[in-house]
Amino acid sequence: MQRQDRRWRLIAIAMMVFATLVLAACGDDEEETSDEPDVEVEEFPADTTMGEIQEAGEINLGVKFDVPPFGFNNPQSGEVEGFDVDLGRYIAARLGVEPVFREANSDNRIPLLVDGTIDLILSTMTITEERDLEIDFSEPYYVANGDVLVPTDSDIASLEDLAGNTVCTAIGSTYQSTIKDEVPDAELRLVDGYSECLELIQTDAVDAVSTDNVILTGMVIQDDTLELLDLDYTEEPYGVGIPDGDAEMKEFVDESVTQFIDDGTWQETYDEWVGQYIPEEQQQGPPEITLDEALALFPLEK
Amino acid sequence: MTDALNLLTENFGDFASGLWVTARIVAVAFVIAMVVGTLVAAFRVAPVKALQRIGGVYVEVFRNIPLLVLLLILFIGVRRAGLPISAWVAGTMGLGLYTAAYIAEAIRSGVFAVGKGQIEAALSLGLTYPRALRRIVLPQAFRTVIPTLGSLIIAMVKNSAIVGASLLALPDLLKESRVIQSETAQTEAFLWAAAGYLLLTISVTVLFRRLETRYAVRR
Repeated sequence: MQRQDRRWRLIAIAMMVFATLVLAACGDDEEETSDEPDVEVEEFPADTTMGEIQEAGEINLGVKFDVPPFGFNNPQSGEVEGFDVDLGRYIAARLGVEPVFREANSDNRIPLLVDGTIDLILSTMTITEERDLEIDFSEPYYVANGDVLVPTDSDIASLEDLAGNTVCTAIGSTYQSTIKDEVPDAELRLVDGYSECLELIQTDAVDAVSTDNVILTGMVIQDDTLELLDLDYTEEPYGVGIPDGDAEMKEFVDESVTQFIDDGTWQETYDEWVGQYIPEEQQQGPPEITLDEALALFPLEK
Repeated sequence: MTDALNLLTENFGDFASGLWVTARIVAVAFVIAMVVGTLVAAFRVAPVKALQRIGGVYVEVFRNIPLLVLLLILFIGVRRAGLPISAWVAGTMGLGLYTAAYIAEAIRSGVFAVGKGQIEAALSLGLTYPRALRRIVLPQAFRTVIPTLGSLIIAMVKNSAIVGASLLALPDLLKESRVIQSETAQTEAFLWAAAGYLLLTISVTVLFRRLETRYAVRR
C-alpha cells in the first residue's frame, strides 16, 4: 500500500517537472507564426546562404522584443510584432521559409550575427561605419531621427538643457557617443534595453531618455505622462545587418528591401506601426538616402 | 597583444574611472556589511529569543533573495513607493545588506568556537551580556573567522558587477568595459575588466592575509 503511494507521488512529481518544462519551452524567446506576406518565392542554389536557409526551412531573425512599434512582444497575442518583424516576414516569405524571431538588443545583436545564432539583424540598427567593419548593411529601409523624451512636467526643452541631468540610453547604441559629443555635461545612464529606460524615467530615476524618435513614440503610446521634444537632432538610417562579406546575401536583402518599398508594403507597414500614431505633417515616406550617404553620417572617429 | 595594450592605454581614463566606481561601491558596501553583519550575529547569539528570531529572519531573507532581485526591489520598488532613493544608495545598500547575511553567519560560527565556559565566566564576573560579547567573545570570534570573511569580501567584490549590470546602471568597471567594447568592437576590453577585478580581489586577499597573521590565534 505504502509502496503504491510512493509510486503515485513519483508520477505526480514527474508530471509536474514535465509540465514545468513544457511551460518553459512555451516561454522560450522565439516565436513562430505563419501569416505570410503575398510574394513570389525565389529558389536559390544550395551553396549560397539563401539556399542553406531554404534547406533548413527557417530563417533566424534578430529583432528587439521591447521596442514598440519596431519589435516588441505583444502581451495580448504572445507574439513579436512591429515594423522590423513585418520586414522580416517579408524577407522570409521571399525565401519561402518560416521566420524565427530571436531577441537581439543593441549590445548583443552583432555578436549574435557574427556567431551565426541569427541570419540577419532587424533591430532598429543605425548604419554606421564602425558597425560596417564587423558586418554588412543593406540599403536603408527606414530613417529615424534622434530625439529626447521627458516627463510632461519637465523643465528640459532643448538638447543643451540635458547638461547636468541624467539621460538614459541603451549600451551599444549610437546615442552612447552622440550624447557624449553633443552634451558632455549630461550624466549618461547606459542600460541593456529601452524598456529599462522607460522604467527609469517612470520612476524619475533619470531626467530624460534619448534615442530614435520612433522608439520614444512607442514609450509615449504606453505612458502619456511622457512627451517628445521633437528635436530631430540626428538622422539615423536603419539597415538590415548581414554577415560580413556575404555578397549574395546582401544582394538578396537589398532586392527584398527595394521590393518591399516598391510594391507598397513599406507604406502599409509604416501606416500600421508609425503613421497612425503621429500627426500627418510629421509623417514620412520610404527612405531616399543611399547606403553610402548613410555611412557618411556616422563615420569612424579616427 | 599590442592591440590589447593599445586598447588599455587609449581608454585608460574610462577603465580607471570604472575601477574607481567599483572600488567605492565595494568600500561602502564593505562597511555596511561588517556593521550590519556583526549586529545580526550578536542578535543571533543573544540570550533573548525575540532577538534571535529577528537575526534569523534577517539572515534567511537576505540570503535567500537573489542579489539582482534585491537591488530591483531596493531601487525601483522603493522609488515606486515614493521614496527617491538614488541608484548609488540602493546599490551599496543592496550589496552591503546582502553580504551582511553571510558575514553574520560566519561570525556566529566564530562565536560558537569560543568556549561556552568563557561567556559563563565573564557573566559570573559581573560583566553584562553586551559587554561580555564585545570584550571577550567577539574579538576571539573575529580572529577565527578572518579567512572566511576574506572569502566573503572577495565574493562581494565580484558581486558588485551585478550592481552595474542591473537597472541601477552605475558606471562601474564592467559597465565602462562594455562601453569601450561596444565602441571599439574589441573583446579584449573584458580581459582588462577581469584584470581590474583581479586587482581588487588580490588587494582584499593581501589585506586579510595580513590580518590573519597579525591576529592569528596562537595555539
